[in-house]
Amino acid sequence: MNPKLKKSLLYWALLSPLIVLILFPFAVMFITAIKPANEVLSPTWWPREAAWRNFIDMWAVTNFGTALWNSIYVSVLSTVLALAVSIPAAYAMSRFRFRGQGFFRQFLLVTQMLSPIVLVIGLFRLVVWLGLLDNVNSIVFVYGAFNVAFTVWMLQSYFSTIPKDLEEAAWIEGASPAKALVMVFLPLALPAMTVTAIFSFINAWNEFVIALTMLRRQESYTLPIQIFSLVAGRYTVEWHHVMAATFVATIPVAVIFAWLQRYLVRGLAIGAVK
Amino acid sequence: MIRSPLTNPYLLILPGFLLAAFIILWPLYQLGTISLNDVNRFGQLRGLNGVENYVAVFTDPDFLGALWRTFIWTGGIVVGTLIISVPVAMILNEDFYGRSLARVIIMLPWAVSLTMTAIVWRWALNGESGMLNSGLQNIGLIDQNIQWLARASTAFPVQIMIGILVTIPFTTTIFLGGLSSIPDDLYEAAKLEGASRWQTFREITLPLMKPFLNISIVLNMIYVFNSFPIIWATTQGGPANSTDILVTYLYKLGFRFGKLGEASALSVMMFALLLAFTILYVALAMRRERT
Repeated sequence: MNPKLKKSLLYWALLSPLIVLILFPFAVMFITAIKPANEVLSPTWWPREAAWRNFIDMWAVTNFGTALWNSIYVSVLSTVLALAVSIPAAYAMSRFRFRGQGFFRQFLLVTQMLSPIVLVIGLFRLVVWLGLLDNVNSIVFVYGAFNVAFTVWMLQSYFSTIPKDLEEAAWIEGASPAKALVMVFLPLALPAMTVTAIFSFINAWNEFVIALTMLRRQESYTLPIQIFSLVAGRYTVEWHHVMAATFVATIPVAVIFAWLQRYLVRGLAIGAVK
Repeated sequence: MIRSPLTNPYLLILPGFLLAAFIILWPLYQLGTISLNDVNRFGQLRGLNGVENYVAVFTDPDFLGALWRTFIWTGGIVVGTLIISVPVAMILNEDFYGRSLARVIIMLPWAVSLTMTAIVWRWALNGESGMLNSGLQNIGLIDQNIQWLARASTAFPVQIMIGILVTIPFTTTIFLGGLSSIPDDLYEAAKLEGASRWQTFREITLPLMKPFLNISIVLNMIYVFNSFPIIWATTQGGPANSTDILVTYLYKLGFRFGKLGEASALSVMMFALLLAFTILYVALAMRRERT
C-alpha cells in the first residue's frame, strides 16, 4: 500500500466521528422531508417509499412563497444598502491615509462585535419610533446598517490588493478621478464586490433575532421566522413539511456558501493581517 | 492634484459611518435612559429611579442561574471547539486523498443558518420519534428512548454540542490560515535535527500558532456569548428557564415578561462586557501586528 493512501485512510478514520455528527442533521432533514405523512412519527430511518409530493404540499401548507419573497426582498435590499455606503468607505480606507482612519477602523470592529441581540430593545424602540414595526423595510434598514462593518472590512482588504499605480497612470493620462474610478478601478474590484455582496446576502438570509422581534404578522415573516413559527408553541407539528421547507430554504444558500467559502477566508485573513 | 469629492476620504466614509453609528448609538442611548427610569410594560417612562433596575436584575435568581450557565455555555463551547479544531486543522493542512471533500464537509455547518440547524436538531432529538434515539438504539448504545430536551441535564449538554459543531468551521479556518503561514523549512530543519512529531508540534507549531489561537478564542467568546438561535429554537430556555443563558433571558425579560427596565439594565451591562472583550481582541490583534 502506498504511503499516501495509508495516510488518507488514517485521516479519514480520525475525522469520521466529526463528519458523522456534521452530516447527521442533514440526513435527518432530507429523510424526514421525503417521508410519507403516516410514517413521520414512526421512529424508522428509511421511508418505505419516497414522498416527493411533500415538497409541493409544503409550499402551500407552510406559506412558503410569501416568506421566500420576504427573505429575498430583505436580503437583496439590505445588501444594496450596505454596499452603497461601504464601497466609498472601503475605497477611502484602502487609498488614502487620513487622520481618524485608525479610529474608524476600530469603530467598525466594535460594531462588528456587537450582536444586535444586546441592543434589541433599543432597536425595537427605534423601529417603533420610525413607524416601521411589522414592516419588512425595518429589517432592511437594520440589517443594512449592521452589515456595514463586515462589508467595509471585506471590501477594504480586497481593494488594498489592487495596485494604485493603475489609477495613477490613468490620472496622468488626464482622466478625472471619477473616470479613473469607473474605467480602471471598478472593473478590477467587481469580483471582490460580488463576493462581499453574496456574503452580506447570506447574513441577512440567515438572521433570526431581529426578524423575530420586529415582524409580528405572518405576511411579513422571513423564512427563518416562518419555519420557526411552524415549530414553536404548536401542539402538533407537521415535521415532514417543516423539514421539506428547511431543506429548500437551506440547501441553495449552503451550496453557494460552500463554493465561495475560500474567498471569505481569504478576505477575512487579508483584512486581519493588514 | 485634481479636487473632487472622490479624493476626500472623509466624504467617502461619512455615509457608512453615520449609518453604523446611528444603529448602535441611538438604541444604546435609549437603553441607557430606560435602564435608569421606572418604566411600564408599554415602554412609558415614569421618572428616574436610579440604579433600581440594576439591583432588580442582580437579585433575580433566574438571572444568577442564566449568568452561571452563560459561563458554562461560553467556556464549554470555546474550549471544546479549540480541542477539536486544532487536530482537525492539522489534518486538513496535510495532503491526502479527498482532502477538498473533507474540507467542504467540515465547513458545511457554517453555511446553514443556526435557526435551521437548531430546528432540525429539535426534531432529531424528539423523544418518541426522533432519529437520534432510533439511530442509537439500532447500533445498541441505548435500550430505551431518552427525552433529550425535556430536562436541562440532557438538553444543555446537547445544546453545547451543537454549539461546538457550528463553531468548528470558523475556528478551523483561522487555524488553517495560521498553519499555512508557518514556513516549511522549519519542519524540514526539525526533521534533520531528528525531532519527534510531538516535539515538532510543541516547539514549532504551537508557539507559531499562538496568535491565531488567541484571536480565535477571543472572537469565539464574543460570538458564543451572543448566540441566541440554538437555545431559542430547541428549548426557548425551558423547561422552566433551566437552559436560559443571558441572551435568551434578556429576550424573555423584554418581550415576554415586559420588564423593560430590567432588560435594558441587563443590556447595558452586557454591552459593557462585550466592549471589554472587543478591547482585549484589539489589543491581541495589535500585538500580533507588531511582531
